[in-house]
Amino acid sequence: MNLWLLVWRNSLRKKIRFGLTCLSVMVAFFLFTTLAGVNHALTASVSNINQYRLITSHKISLTRSLPINYQQKIATLHGVEQVTFASWFGGFYQNEKNQLAVTAVDHTSYFELFDEYHIPEQQLASWKKARTGIIIGHAIAKEYGWRVGDKVPLSSSIWMNKNGSFSWEFVVSGIYQSTKTAGDNNKIFFQHAYFDKGRAYASHSISWLSTKIAVHENVEQVIKSIDDLFAHSNSPTRTTTEQVFIKEQAQQFVDMAMVINIVVIAVFFTLLLIVCNTMIQTSRERLNESAMMKALGFSSSALIRGIYCESLLLIGIGAALGTVLASVLLVYVKQGFGDFLPGIYITSAHYITVLSLVNIAAAFCSFFPAITINGIAISETLGGKS
Amino acid sequence: MNSDNSNTDIIFKAINKSYQKGDSTVVVHNDFNLTIKSGEFVALMGPSGLGKSTLLHLMGGLDKPTQGEIYIGHQRIDNLSQKQLTQWRADNIGFVFQSHHLLPVLSAQGNVELPLALTPLNQKQRKQHASMALQLVNMSERANHYPKELSGGQEQRVAIARAIVSDPQILLCDEPTGNLDRKTADEILALLAKLNSDSGKTIVMVTHDIKAADYATRVIDLESYLLAKNKEQPENKALALDNVLVGKSA
Repeated sequence: MNLWLLVWRNSLRKKIRFGLTCLSVMVAFFLFTTLAGVNHALTASVSNINQYRLITSHKISLTRSLPINYQQKIATLHGVEQVTFASWFGGFYQNEKNQLAVTAVDHTSYFELFDEYHIPEQQLASWKKARTGIIIGHAIAKEYGWRVGDKVPLSSSIWMNKNGSFSWEFVVSGIYQSTKTAGDNNKIFFQHAYFDKGRAYASHSISWLSTKIAVHENVEQVIKSIDDLFAHSNSPTRTTTEQVFIKEQAQQFVDMAMVINIVVIAVFFTLLLIVCNTMIQTSRERLNESAMMKALGFSSSALIRGIYCESLLLIGIGAALGTVLASVLLVYVKQGFGDFLPGIYITSAHYITVLSLVNIAAAFCSFFPAITINGIAISETLGGKS
Repeated sequence: MNSDNSNTDIIFKAINKSYQKGDSTVVVHNDFNLTIKSGEFVALMGPSGLGKSTLLHLMGGLDKPTQGEIYIGHQRIDNLSQKQLTQWRADNIGFVFQSHHLLPVLSAQGNVELPLALTPLNQKQRKQHASMALQLVNMSERANHYPKELSGGQEQRVAIARAIVSDPQILLCDEPTGNLDRKTADEILALLAKLNSDSGKTIVMVTHDIKAADYATRVIDLESYLLAKNKEQPENKALALDNVLVGKSA
């Protein structure tokens, strides 16, 4: 017999109660881990981004276009290393259910600035020469079975070509692989020159510009100088870092991080109440036994440590089950939907957070039983007065 | 704490004990004196409400007097802190209660081993000590049984084994036969008497069982003591309880 055995046996004394409480802890940590994985996917795209890249769009709305000559004007500003531009094509394949992220980009500069897209040199060179060429992400290639050289008709829900059709002909010139951990491999890029010449209207306009500034340059200063440059033009601009831009786009739908935090706080608060209640009940049921152990010479702190270990065991088992279950689920989700939601991942920091939460919750749940144990009057509890 | 194991005299000097019950104070003992010599087997008797268990709890350091001094051997215990008392109990006292309070999740062996978790003994030694204690109370064959699988008498035997396993010099028993039939009660009393005669343990037993007188070396009738005290010393002055023996077994 050792005290760990006593903790284990005491924990399993009311098996159904232990099981149900464990289950509630498991559900809480399952939700916590699952949401953390999804949150990582949503925030990874932001945190992965080079902080020295800026996005400039129309001040009023991203849907309004900017003149293409803004590229040269921005390039002359102090601190700017490189400028490229792009336009949103809004494409789909065969029918509108197969939506694709198709962007027309400046073929001379885009992939120099966005060096996270790894494209075989030969393919990149051939794409630069082929006006109708497209570079596709490997996830797209995998999903549709497209290979280099394949002719692919893509339609736009926005842009009509000069033939009066919304269907555009492309040839796959290359396949890229994002080098970032949570990189997006679902994009399609084609030459802006082809787009500009082919579209029926709004030529010489672009959707946004991307600017690379020198490392250690004052980012705020460069942002201000870009926006000041066009402040009194017909198309005033709004410039932000790429991180802020993507975060803002995501937050247009929902502030996922906030939702996750609220859910997690609510779940943990409920969990604490449940486990706390269980531990209070447990300590009350064993008042006589605790008094006897004190009479035998066990100190209050030794008994409180026992209660803490029981809480730790209960919450620990639930948390371990919930976390493992969520991790396994996320592996399957990643396999199934990883191309659409890259970056689903449980960081080691999350596991440390789980461990910390388990310890904090166990300490909290032992607090009230500790008060009860500390206040036990052995003589009154065990024998009364004759 | 009590390094001198040969002297375990229990001495109460002018003990006052009172409880606060709402607005009123209930006096249980007033100017109470008592000496129990090492190796005695004392049965503390009397009707309910006279404070027999309170005396036992004071001896065991489970409770503190309102006033007065308590010595166990050379150690004064009424002024010890709770932490010191806890350690002192572990080293010197074995308790047997009417309700045995065995842990239902541990076997007889496990329950007896429990106090040894506070000692520096290793697991193997603890097991050996517990087996010996169970053997002393004739419970070796039931070592792996859980409390719910034991009869009342067997449970009390295990409780006695638990009380003696760490070899304390003093055993304090609060109505150890209260829940038992006559035959089993006699067995338990005989066992306690054997522990007293063979191992020289000081045993103080609170009991209502008149047959206990047959086993104890001294019987203290608390009611007679208090009557005599009031008669002889109406000013409530101290009276040596040693003079109020009402019976002594052969």
